[in-house]
Amino acid sequence: MSAGTEISRRAALKLFAAGAAVSLAGCSRPYEEILPYVDMPEGMAAGEPEYYATALPLGGYARGVIVKAVEGRPIKIAGNPRHPASLGATDIFGEAEIMALYDPERSGTIRGPNSISGWSEFFAELLARTDKAKSGAAPLHILTSTVTSPTLLRQIAELSGQVPGTRWFAYDPAGGAAEGARLVPRLDKAKVIVSLDADPLGPGPMQVVLGRRFIDGRRSADQRMSRLYAVESIWTLTGANADHRLALPPAGIEAIAMEIAGRLGGGNAPPADLPGEARHFVEAMLADLKAAGQGALLLAGGSLSAAARKAVDDANRKAGAPVDRIEPPQGLPHPEALGDFLASLYGGKVENLLVLDCNPAYDAAPGKTFADRLEAVPFAVHAGCYDDETAGLCRWHLPLSHPLEAWSDLTSADGAVSIVQPLIRPLYETRSAHEVVALYAGQPTPSGHDIVRATWRQDETDEAFENWWRGTLVSGIVSGRAPKSSSLSPAASPAEALAPEDAARTPPKGGFTAVLRPDPTIYDGRFSNNAWLQECPKPLSKGTWTNVVSLAPVDAQALSVEDGDVVAVASVEGAVEGPARIDRGQAKGVVGLTLGYGRLRAGAIGTGLGYNARLLAPGSLGNVVAGVKVIRTGRRAPVPSTQMHFSLEGDLGKLLPEVTAGEALPGAGKPREPVPSLFGPGPAKDPYSWAMVIDTAACIGCNACVIACQSENNIAVVGPDEVANGRAMHWLRIDRYDLGDAAEPRHGFEPVPCMHCEKAPCEPVCPVEASVHDTEGLNVQVYNRCVGTRFCQSNCPYKVRRFNWFAYNSGQEYQDLGKEPMRARFNPDVTVRARGVMEKCTYCVQRISGARREAEKTDTPIPEGGVTTACQDACPTRAIQFGNLQDPASKVNRLRADRRHFTLLAELGTRPRTTYLARVRNPNPKLAGDSA
Amino acid sequence: MAQIFHPRANTVAIAVLVSIPVVVVLVFVVNYQLHASSYTTGEGRFVDQPVPFSHKHHVGDLGLDCRYCHGGVDKVAFAGLPPTHTCMTCHSQLFTNAAMLAPVRQSLATGIPIRWNRVYRLPDYVYFDHSVHIRNGIGCTTCHGDMSEQPLTEKKTPLTMGWCLACHRHPGTHMRDEADIFDPHVPDPHNDPRKAVAMLRHYVVETANMTDCSVCHR
Repeated sequence: MSAGTEISRRAALKLFAAGAAVSLAGCSRPYEEILPYVDMPEGMAAGEPEYYATALPLGGYARGVIVKAVEGRPIKIAGNPRHPASLGATDIFGEAEIMALYDPERSGTIRGPNSISGWSEFFAELLARTDKAKSGAAPLHILTSTVTSPTLLRQIAELSGQVPGTRWFAYDPAGGAAEGARLVPRLDKAKVIVSLDADPLGPGPMQVVLGRRFIDGRRSADQRMSRLYAVESIWTLTGANADHRLALPPAGIEAIAMEIAGRLGGGNAPPADLPGEARHFVEAMLADLKAAGQGALLLAGGSLSAAARKAVDDANRKAGAPVDRIEPPQGLPHPEALGDFLASLYGGKVENLLVLDCNPAYDAAPGKTFADRLEAVPFAVHAGCYDDETAGLCRWHLPLSHPLEAWSDLTSADGAVSIVQPLIRPLYETRSAHEVVALYAGQPTPSGHDIVRATWRQDETDEAFENWWRGTLVSGIVSGRAPKSSSLSPAASPAEALAPEDAARTPPKGGFTAVLRPDPTIYDGRFSNNAWLQECPKPLSKGTWTNVVSLAPVDAQALSVEDGDVVAVASVEGAVEGPARIDRGQAKGVVGLTLGYGRLRAGAIGTGLGYNARLLAPGSLGNVVAGVKVIRTGRRAPVPSTQMHFSLEGDLGKLLPEVTAGEALPGAGKPREPVPSLFGPGPAKDPYSWAMVIDTAACIGCNACVIACQSENNIAVVGPDEVANGRAMHWLRIDRYDLGDAAEPRHGFEPVPCMHCEKAPCEPVCPVEASVHDTEGLNVQVYNRCVGTRFCQSNCPYKVRRFNWFAYNSGQEYQDLGKEPMRARFNPDVTVRARGVMEKCTYCVQRISGARREAEKTDTPIPEGGVTTACQDACPTRAIQFGNLQDPASKVNRLRADRRHFTLLAELGTRPRTTYLARVRNPNPKLAGDSA
Repeated sequence: MAQIFHPRANTVAIAVLVSIPVVVVLVFVVNYQLHASSYTTGEGRFVDQPVPFSHKHHVGDLGLDCRYCHGGVDKVAFAGLPPTHTCMTCHSQLFTNAAMLAPVRQSLATGIPIRWNRVYRLPDYVYFDHSVHIRNGIGCTTCHGDMSEQPLTEKKTPLTMGWCLACHRHPGTHMRDEADIFDPHVPDPHNDPRKAVAMLRHYVVETANMTDCSVCHR
């Protein structure tokens, strides 16, 4: 044995003795401190949560939320029932803003030309430059993403009046720009809905509202429930929820759109050239549409040409289809302004540039051309939450505050305006977009609060304004007044003709058509560094932590590509590489790509994952790139996917049964002889027996419940490698089932939380009684008893138990998730589980306990609806209902008697408290034989 | 070949064999005793405080109500410690130059809170709610002892799970009338089952779930 790092026996014994001595000395715990206020705010109770109404942007549009803050820390986002774009529910992006707020990678310092700088240094340089601008030498160019804030619109208008020659450009990184009025379909009133590559149920600022409306239309008396046809090229949530789906490449969809819009309008449109089966589909769909009269609704997607969209709009108008038209504020830049901006930039005309809260070097024009040009701009300033790709190319980077840290206002996609109020002081030395624009207007120390209030102040007394202001903050929605606005002068809107770039870009004939969609969990890349969203399984593929290249099976076969093979997708302008996913039901000749990945400077979580689909056509925000090649690279990169994790054994017809509209599920609704059980008697009688019923017909697969659960219950992120090992920790998973024809399946979603079995198989196998029942029927997991044998996990037939293989939340976090600000996100009412401990859904026991304690204090029983679980609150379609079985009038009791009620794996006799309602289809009898 | 074992080895072997189970039993007994002892639970321990606050003086002699300083105790989970301003309602007039109150004056002047040290500490996986106990007939002194006799605050009870459960199994016997909840003295215990049932009925307390794990752990 040699010396070096080897340790001698003597030294080992010494260390052992020292360790033993230290452990004895360590017996006395350090004091724990309590720090009371010096002067406590009135009405404050230490440790009790406070709730504030505000709004969060997605793609620029507001969704109203109510944020829960404990001792000044925002910890949970919930929907605002009074807000028309929330209706009390949330989406994954809203829920995950908590993670974004505490992201340690969020930019917190100003970066000057060479090094870290300060706001005053920036203002000094700005003053020197703006003097030049006033003489007309270097007009200011402002580039933003979609702006809906009345205050920011006012500020930009005023600035362009103050500094002549100011030009403003805006673009939507998710693509799908629409000119004129925004169309918000009334899916609840429509009877026959045809989605032409539109994805109303997919991710976006209106997902919550459209999802609710769609399911409302489906819930109306069974015979009159709406019918959804989807014509699309790659799978979307809309296609997955459709009664009939037709997969066609974009050109085919365009032809169908023109044909049915024309024929529905009574005209004589040329019939689209379609194969026999598709022709049959279109004819049946048209007949159905005509029969629906005013209930017929066509939805045109962003991949259709402007002409097709107009034809569809005209047909809707003529038929009186239920669509709300929302007029945007006057003076907004043309949605295709990006082309103008690029023309100016490439022409060397931009000397003074403010990039405000957007990242064009990644999401609009990635690549060397743009980067070189931007770097050459003498006074380029980037203001954003992250020191991202664009920031790296600009002379200055200014850190922006998170929406939960700053005052602002926002408009929702259906026109409702909210005031955005901060829940916490900025964690870093950041300022809001309003304050940055005010710097440009020459105010050295602007206050975002004053700027926003100035927009809403009318000619009135202070008292009247304060009353209105407070009332508005409480309700979270502006009513009864219009913002002060100074309309944008014509000089501010793009004066140049549209860049002829798009026309010049004639794609080669043949090859594949690439279809680009915002990623279902990362959207346009803005959420790349959000670990909750990265680990959230994509609704259909169940992949995590990367995007994939989806291919139709025939194409994959022709290329001899298998799932997980890396393929290159190349256009004339660029190429990307990603793992292939063979998607049954995707249109032939189409490659499906999603945006939001391929970040180069996102942060520790998001950098280097996946590919950037915009590289195929930099500078264009179109959703379709024609004439691309797909090449097999010969490498493999399997995607960490949760599809096969925790899969259930059983007959598909029993796991996720399906009925057609008006039909009953055999055996449902009748009280059944309980299956005999070997387990002991059930829990003792108590005034409460909690139960949950999940309506699978109403589940659109949006994942909002999964992230809401993660946020409420301090669920850890494990990272891609651990996901690949089958160790994802989500307590609530959404199982995707393939139904019908195996070659072109339909999809069904089934959220699976803990079943809280009355005869729970996990309980008798636990050697330390860590898995036990309580009197209210909850199957509880006692973390401080658990020794980690995992017997319960292997004995659980529903596979809902999750084991902490590592201290995912308490010392062995993935990447930088253990860094200091991140710890502030935890819900103090829920234990942060340690390594070696089993965990699972608790029915949000902390909320039940809170309600029960309140009930015991006031001596009044918990009313129906007095306890809601986090998943139930988040669900846009109200698919999840929770309540007390002892209350005969409760909603869960009513649903348990429904004709569609069923129990998962009922034959096992576990008597779950979580039960389900069967899926409902409303197929067109003329297409009855088809499975699509 | 020489003998390997000395004749004494027999005795040693028997002694070792006998002591193995004894040692094992001892280890368990000592551990168990140690675990429940005040050495581990901290029962009867005083904790250093920045200001030697006397409950005996304020509660026993002056008769201040518990809620004057611990305002959250009947409303929310955390009883709350008084903000510096509460101390100063009296001490801006009384003992204005006392050396022992210097940290309070300093806190008021600088706006930096006083750093009190916790006397009653529960593990992080235990969720205790003061208000639900206070509102259902459990007085302060049931856990905190006679506050009118504590010049320096002392941890009066062990706060072990067994100690909690002893009460949760028979809550009625520990309940008091509303008027006595904030009585700084410990009332005489009653073991009258009829009174216990009457108390449970008076406070509308369901006992079925009171020993559920989920009542305190989640």
